[in-house]
Amino acid sequence: MPLTLRESAHLISDPEHLKFSVLEVFETMLGVACESLRPGAEEARIGSAESVTAVVGFGGILSGACVITCDESSARQIASRLTGMEFETLDDVVKDAIGEICNMVAGAWKSRVPELAANCGLSVPAVITGRDYNLHMHSPEFKVTHLYGFDGAQFQAAIVCDQLL
Amino acid sequence: MREIRALIVDDSSVMRKIVERSLRQAGVESLVVVEAGSGIEGLEVLKAGRVDLILSDINMPAMDGLEFVRQLRSQELAEGVPVVMITTESSEEHVKQAIDAGAMGYIRKPFTADQVKQKVLSLLPTV
Repeated sequence: MPLTLRESAHLISDPEHLKFSVLEVFETMLGVACESLRPGAEEARIGSAESVTAVVGFGGILSGACVITCDESSARQIASRLTGMEFETLDDVVKDAIGEICNMVAGAWKSRVPELAANCGLSVPAVITGRDYNLHMHSPEFKVTHLYGFDGAQFQAAIVCDQLL
Repeated sequence: MREIRALIVDDSSVMRKIVERSLRQAGVESLVVVEAGSGIEGLEVLKAGRVDLILSDINMPAMDGLEFVRQLRSQELAEGVPVVMITTESSEEHVKQAIDAGAMGYIRKPFTADQVKQKVLSLLPTV
């Protein structure tokens, strides 16, 4: 019988998976305890300020993406905590750091469901920077979004599922 | 204490620095780090000189970490040198693939410096 996730969609879309994945990555790699700022936060809102969006795609038994979005100041703060360096601009190291954070959150998220861990691959991270842009995903099967913060930094984490096999 | 030459292979320069920092925190004081941004670059580094330890990501463009390990084993570029995969992929299937390719250790991201220390000490007990 082919492997299917359809019957366990409610388990995969459990918001707690994303929450624990984010908390684990930030506590282990940055040494910070993230605070959940707004339970049930909706769409990513990219304001007029410079912002950073990192995307890691899922492929295989689940098609979709893990998305981390934050403003420039928060991106520099996250990168600083991750690397121990100080950043005055949104340089390539900061972008790399946000991409890696997204990569680790994506990996931690899928590892919470055994079927996903073994049968869902990750893309390398893509990082988008700029002002006034929107990230469109067509008719997702489900989307889990939440806003987090620490020491004044804020970021949004999302899991978007296009298709479950 | 002998000098340890470690090859760190990751397409992310940030992760290469974090792995290096973890090695130093693990007490590998006399450490020389050589970096590579892909499996292809990693093979070139190995052709140029000896290393004592290899730590590699799996999910990389051009040549992934599993193919990198298969190639270095088949080309006998680092005979007896322990290879540790450091990756977000954590399923038993991925671990088995890494071991089958020739890796001797596996660390899942996110990781702590202590996890790196334990793994390095198990593979290089004289560090």
